[in-house]
Formats: sequence, structure tokens, C-alpha cells
Amino acid sequence: MTTVADSRVGLPPKRAGVGHWLAGFRAMLRWEITNMRLLLPITMMVQLLSGAGLVIGFGLLISDMPEQVALFLSTGAVVITLILVGVVMGPQLVAQQKLDGSYDFMWSLPVPRSASTCAWLVLNVFIAIPGMVGALLVAMWRYDVSFAVSWLVLPAILLTLVCGTLLGYAMAHSIPKPEITQLLTQFLIFAIFGFSPISYPAENLPGWLAELHEYLPFAHMANVVRDALTDGIAVDVGRSYIVLVAWTLLAAGLSGLVLGRRK
Amino acid sequence: MADDWVFRTVDVSKAYGETTANDRISIEVHPGEVYGLLGPNGAGKSTLVKQIIGLLKPDSGSITLGPFDLVDDPDAARQLCSYLPQAQMPIESFKIREAVHVTGLIRGGEDAAVRRRGEELIAALQLGEWAGTLGAKLSGGVRRLTGFIMATVWPGKIVILDEPTNDVDPLRRRLLWEQVRQLGSLGAAVILVTHNVMEAEKSVDRLAVINEGRLIAEGTPSSLKAEDRGRLRLELMLEPGAPTPDLPEFVRHDARVGNNLVMVIDEASATAGIEWSQRMMESAGAEEYALAATTLEDVYIRLTGHTSEEPR
Ligand SMILES: Nc1ncnc2c1ncn2[C@@H]1O[C@H](COP(=O)(O)OP(=O)(O)OP(=O)(O)O)[C@@H](O)[C@H]1O
Ligand SMILES: [Mg+2]
Repeated sequence: MTTVADSRVGLPPKRAGVGHWLAGFRAMLRWEITNMRLLLPITMMVQLLSGAGLVIGFGLLISDMPEQVALFLSTGAVVITLILVGVVMGPQLVAQQKLDGSYDFMWSLPVPRSASTCAWLVLNVFIAIPGMVGALLVAMWRYDVSFAVSWLVLPAILLTLVCGTLLGYAMAHSIPKPEITQLLTQFLIFAIFGFSPISYPAENLPGWLAELHEYLPFAHMANVVRDALTDGIAVDVGRSYIVLVAWTLLAAGLSGLVLGRRK
Repeated sequence: MADDWVFRTVDVSKAYGETTANDRISIEVHPGEVYGLLGPNGAGKSTLVKQIIGLLKPDSGSITLGPFDLVDDPDAARQLCSYLPQAQMPIESFKIREAVHVTGLIRGGEDAAVRRRGEELIAALQLGEWAGTLGAKLSGGVRRLTGFIMATVWPGKIVILDEPTNDVDPLRRRLLWEQVRQLGSLGAAVILVTHNVMEAEKSVDRLAVINEGRLIAEGTPSSLKAEDRGRLRLELMLEPGAPTPDLPEFVRHDARVGNNLVMVIDEASATAGIEWSQRMMESAGAEEYALAATTLEDVYIRLTGHTSEEPR
């Protein structure tokens, strides 16, 4: 039994640098994907159904939908599926890890924290794609709308996903009690579905809440995605990008802080 | 082996609110050594090892490995130490072989070498039958052994094992202890948390007994037993629910676990001990008794007032 070389005498130098980061990232991504293997099919299916369900459900609320409204609602549905992945599903997975005790093992592994975080982001992007595509296809079939997809679709969707996922990640890691995290995600579902101007215009909200959403990321997520998928519905998109980038940086910074923190 | 590094904790203290989990604990571990941490439930063993691996931060005191300060540099701690936590490993979705392989890669091992050593360990612990089985379908003991392999497939300089033999059958326990010994020849030191004093006696080079957060004894198994030389263990099985009888003068120390009363007496008191035991069987509801040589277990009882097998 000497395959781990006998030359392991003395202490190795500390590993650092790009090679170490990339190796850690690749290995962690492999871990995360294998870890989701049993849940991945069902998670993607749920995503797909919720995307499609939202689009169809909006149609039941409004009969005889004009094309502009259909576009508005179906892009809203897309954004909701993206947000659900990052802000609800992600934190629930982290909370689960804390509950079953595997959290300690994962954080005892010698991977740079930013590499673990990036592996997590990539996994979430994977999971989000089917729901998003599903919602778009169902909208085209059900309302006979056509989307005007611009090159901005990639940055808009990635930024929305990364921002949401990092927010959920920072939240789940900074809250010590997983039970609280789970309750909070329940509340977020409610707040995002009901009280965020994603699938309806902000004007429909009371003034103070509309004002608040100027600073929260959710309405801006809807705005950039809508802008990338349609013509002429979204306005003031530049500002939305700025707000989202700011939230992303904030969430990344917060993740960096709480991930490095030892009790 | 040349001692080209030393692992040290110096006066490590850690409290959770009101509870002092570690109270100025200092230990020293050398390359190739298997170092046992023993103590009853809640003694503070897991708390100590979590500070070593950088999951918790000591309130005060230092933890160093050679030139590395593991408190200031938890990244170095994670690279230099590998860890089997007391909790189950998260491997529901992994086949044993995959869990071992990916962990080895994460620990910085090279692909083919990790694969080779993984297969060797799977064979050595006789897990080949399940190597391709998903974790969700494994028994508790096999999962525990898989965790052991994950922690040791690409070991750090310090290998921390928090109760590795929980749920493991006696045959595979022996195989596991053999692998623990082998780690020394790879240049690693092992910090072994365990309740099982009898097994520890055979497997560790040195050990520390921790009780209520404090290190209360340290040494080799035989140096710790020195005080009990010339003494015997007298065990009395009481009827379920029977009260503990008044103990005679010659009992040096005692502990009761369930219906079992464990005492240590001088060899010179052996006859008196047998006579007393027989009287207890006639009058005080004792069912049987046994007289035997003392073991490390008796030292442990003397130090902690508990037996190591107390129900959790
Ligand atoms: N997260 C925590 N919050 C508060 N108290 C804790 C926490 N973890 C441990 N403790 C307390 O600290 C003390 C030491 O716990 P620790 O887990 O280190 O014991 P242990 O020796 O590993 O016990 P066991 O043999 O049961 O695993 C106990 O009193 C325990 O209740
Ligand atoms: Mg413990």
C-alpha cells in the first residue's frame, strides 16, 4: 500500500494559484453534479412544469390576451423560474446540508471558497435552463407570440441567475439555523410571486412598494430579461443592469465574508 | 522516521455561550503517531478537532503544524489535515467508488494514483461487493467505512478521525485499525477520537483523556495503566432495578452502568472481593460476578467516572 508516494516526508508547501483554483473548481463541480444526480431529473422537471404552468396560468386569468401583454407575462414567468432556482432551491439545499451534518465535511475540504462558489453557480445555471426554455416554448405555442431575442439574452439571463444564486447562497450560509433558512425561503416565494413587479407593472403596487422595488433586484431582473427577449416593452434598462451588478457584487462580497467565517 | 514537524495545540479554549467545551487543552502529536482522544459524551473531543480543521475558531490558544499557524490560516489547515466528521458523510447520490475518487481529486490527488489507492482501500476493508452501490442504499457501517476511505484516500499530514468505527462490524473494525496503522508509514499522524477504550488500547501510541473540557491524563496506554498495576477489576451484575449496594472499604473506585457495577480492587483483596460478591448474590440481588485483570478501561473509569460503553 504505497501508492501515495513514500516521499511524503516533511510538510508540503501550501498550494495556491490558478492551477490549484481550477483543479478545486473542477473537482467540486464534479462533486456537485454527482451529488444532485438523484434530484436533478426531478428538479429540472419541476422547473419545467413551473415555467410552463406559470405561462398557462396567466392565460387563464386573462382571456383573449393582446400580444404585448402575453409577451410581458411570459417573460415574467421566465424570470420567476430563474429567481426560484437561486433564491429558493439553492438555500434549501444548503439548509439540508446543515441539517444532515454533511456541511462540516464539505467545508473541511481544501478547495478555495471562491472555487466552491463558482461550482455552485455553474450547477445552478444548468438547473435553471430547462424551466426557462420550457416557459418560452409554451408561450410561443399558447399565445402565438414571437420573441425578439437579442445578443443581450446571455448577459441578462446569466446576471439574473448569478445575482439570485449568490443572494440565496449568502443568505443560506450566513443564517446559522437551517430551519430559519427554510422558513425564509417560504416567505420569499410569497414575496416574489405576490409583491414583486415581475409579471405586472410596478404602477399596480402601492407607491412605497414600487419605490422599494427601484432598489431591490427582482424588478430589475425582469426588466433586463424582458429587454433581451422582446422589443420595446422594457425601459431604462441601463439602470437595471447597474442595480443588478451592484447587488451581485454585494452578494459576492457577503458570501466571501460568511464563507470565511468560523464560529 | 525523522520528526521533521510537530503538531501542537497550546492552551486551546473554546466556549459555546455558557458551556466551556475546551479548557486550555495542550497536546502534541508527531509524524507516524496514532494519538487517541478519549472521553465521555460531551467531553469536548469533537470541538477540539473542529478547531484543528478550521471549522471552529478557538477563543484562545494556538494550533500549529510545523511552521503553519492553523488558526490564522484555515486554508493551510484544510490542505494539511483530512477529516472524517462524527456525522454521516453526504454520499446518498454517490457510488462508493465515485465518492472516494472525487474526494481524492478534491484533496489534490492525481487521478490515476487516487483511483489506485481508492481501489486498494476498498479491497482492504472488504467493501468490493458494494463499490458500485449508491450511498443511499448502503448500510450505516458501510457508509462509515466509505467515509473513512474518503478521509484517507489522499491523506493530509494530520488525519482526524472522529469515531471511525461507529456501526462497523468487528471484522472490519480490525481491518480499519490496520489501515489506521498504515497511515503512519505514509508520513501522516492520526488523531483518533473514540469511545472504545479496549480498541484504542491496541491501536494508539499515545492518548489523552478529556473530561468536561479538560485534559485529565495523557500518555502511552501502559504508562496510564501503571497506577493500576497490582489491581484487579471486579464486576457485579445486579438484577434490573436493584439499588447499588454499600461498597466495602477495599473498593478503590467504581462505576455503575445500567445493571453492571464495575469496581477496581487490590490483588490482596481478591478473596475478600469474592466473598463479598457471593454475599451480594445471596442477599442484595446480584446475579453474577467476575474478577479479571485491569485494562485501560479501568483507568478510564477512574479518571472519568464513566465506563466507555455507556448508552448514548
Ligand atoms: N454547536 C454547539 N452549540 C452549543 N453547544 C455545543 C455545540 N456543540 C457542542 N456543544 C457542547 O459542547 C460540549 C462538548 O461537545 P463535543 O461535541 O465537543 O463533545 P464530544 O466529546 O465530541 O462528545 P461525543 O462523544 O458525544 O461526541 C458539550 O457540552 C456540548 O453540549
Ligand atoms: Mg463528538
